[in-house]
Amino acid sequence: MSKLSKLKADRRSILKAGTAAAGLLAMPSILMAEEKKPKEIIVRAWGGAWGDALKAGVADPFTAATGIKVRMDFTEDNEIKPKIWAAVDQGRVPPIHVNWDTTTNATISALRGATVDLSDLSNLKGLLPSAKPKGLEGYPLVNTYAYVYVCAYRPEAFPDGPPKSWNVLIDPKFKGRVALYDDGIGFNPISVLVGGGKLSDIPDHMEKGYEFYRKLKANKPLLGEDADFTTWFQKGEIDVACTISVNAREAQQKGINVKWTVPQEGCKVDTDGLWVPKGLPGNEEYWAKEFVNFALTREAQQKWCSLLGLPPVYPGIEPPKDLVGDPSYPTKPEDFKKLISIPSPVLVKNQPIWFAKFNEIFQG
Amino acid sequence: MQSRNSKNIPASWKLLDLAERLLVTIWPARLNKYVGWGFLLPALLLVGILLIGLGYIIEYSFHELDLATYRLKAEYSLTNYHTFINRPVYLHILGRTMLASIIVTIITLILAFPYAYMLVRTRSAMMRKFLLIALFLPFFIGQVVRAYGWLIILGKQGFVNSILTSIGLPELDLIYNFQAIVFGLIQYMLPFAILLIIPAITSISEDFELASEGLGANWVSTFRHVVLPMAKPGLVGSFVVVFTLTMTDFAMPEILGGGTSDFIANAIYDSFFQISNPGLGAALSVLLVAIGSIIVTAIFYFAGTGTLGIRQKTR
Repeated sequence: MSKLSKLKADRRSILKAGTAAAGLLAMPSILMAEEKKPKEIIVRAWGGAWGDALKAGVADPFTAATGIKVRMDFTEDNEIKPKIWAAVDQGRVPPIHVNWDTTTNATISALRGATVDLSDLSNLKGLLPSAKPKGLEGYPLVNTYAYVYVCAYRPEAFPDGPPKSWNVLIDPKFKGRVALYDDGIGFNPISVLVGGGKLSDIPDHMEKGYEFYRKLKANKPLLGEDADFTTWFQKGEIDVACTISVNAREAQQKGINVKWTVPQEGCKVDTDGLWVPKGLPGNEEYWAKEFVNFALTREAQQKWCSLLGLPPVYPGIEPPKDLVGDPSYPTKPEDFKKLISIPSPVLVKNQPIWFAKFNEIFQG
Repeated sequence: MQSRNSKNIPASWKLLDLAERLLVTIWPARLNKYVGWGFLLPALLLVGILLIGLGYIIEYSFHELDLATYRLKAEYSLTNYHTFINRPVYLHILGRTMLASIIVTIITLILAFPYAYMLVRTRSAMMRKFLLIALFLPFFIGQVVRAYGWLIILGKQGFVNSILTSIGLPELDLIYNFQAIVFGLIQYMLPFAILLIIPAITSISEDFELASEGLGANWVSTFRHVVLPMAKPGLVGSFVVVFTLTMTDFAMPEILGGGTSDFIANAIYDSFFQISNPGLGAALSVLLVAIGSIIVTAIFYFAGTGTLGIRQKTR
């Protein structure tokens, strides 16, 4: 047998073997795409108007497109975090497939190495720059929209028009009828400005903010979570609050007379995002990423964010009719001038310190 | 003959013989003195698992959080315990928790004792049924639901304030304060206390009370010198249970406190979940367990374990 014939035979064998190998290699992806769909994927979400919007805007259309059911897990975002971390550290399957999270919390999870890189998602192209997490390599999370911590108020309590300054929170007239988040989130940087400080004081010189908190404590504020604000407005417990516009809008949609404004000192603007925890079986991770990818499509972004009343990261989407020109729905550069954005790396490093100080003042 | 006899033995007997032989193989007669321990084994295992968890918590408490990675640093340190001592807020919260525990325990026991006494001594079956239903009904309603119930009743536009404003009186701040938490806790703890006092009162024969009265004592003296001392095991048990449950309660301060009247359990929760610092949360947990254990030990030391019906060694 000549060397050539030997080569021919070998080449034929190699081609056969190669075809077989390619077939074998292709199998998992074929199965993954067509057959290895999980029965359901679990998405952690916030309840109330938040969960309803995700269901209608993303989860239901995703199920319609793929046949995969989406189950919402309403575990509090701070509570799911250590559960996922423990699962990842111990090599267990995490309790959820997709975490809808604040960018700060998601960044902390990324720093712990608990998140899957999403850089290969096809729908990342063309999104606004705010979709990219700051201070992190690649896309361990993807931001999906921005939101504003507005000054929500009951118009009956403000017959002369909306509050012009955050100082309204320390007005004795509203003693016991003002509310904040129970860790000060959304108000920590604003407290410095309303207390007489400058933006450059954040994060190293927060004392003026703490001084404002001490005055605020004397006004006996209520401290709670998202759902509490809607309830408090509904039950007439409060007149004014620093809360995310979504909660105020939800209260309004429930027929409660609530309005919101951006006072002269400004409001904090932040972002939420989606991320996929490490440790999922291959096919489930694939479909979890597909869910995130689906949430970044124009259609999903439009419906989800319109229901929330928040500006999405997909460019060119018009605001809902009731929010056109609303200061809590920034669309133009000048809209952002009154909004204070603190970069995620700064928040990650300083937020625990601010929370602790807030706690010290209000619990002390 | 023998084989015919063995054929006549019912199958169930054979099974029992087999089971007996199996038992003798697994548990020979010489081990019979350990039967009691055998029954205790599951409980001991559970306590053991709890102790392993506590061991981990103690270990975590000696590691500081690294804010760059949000993981506990490998080296051991007392940073978390320094934080507890150096930040007055934690001492303040601990003080608030202890104060509430004492107030709730005392008021609960004062309210529980006559209820339990009435329930045991009443001659009316109807009254006994009513008291039993009133006692057990709250058990079907969870703590969180009950707390929300109080929000509806005591809120700004709640039942009480509606009545006050309807008769021209001003609204009162009845919730989101320390008093509301104490009120909610008393209502929550009352059934526990009553259930623990009932057996103690049941074990006091009515003859003692009749004898006391027969010897000229009025009801106050009988209560003070006969009923109360004899009911001491139930009272001490109730005290320990109500005090420790209050000291570790989370839901009532969370819901009825309005965010400004946290107990130590809320501070632990915040450390673990809100600021993602398991080291600090573990340190606070260790301190809570230590303080609780010291208090319970002190109660048993002064009241004596015999008050719970546990036999003490006699010389």
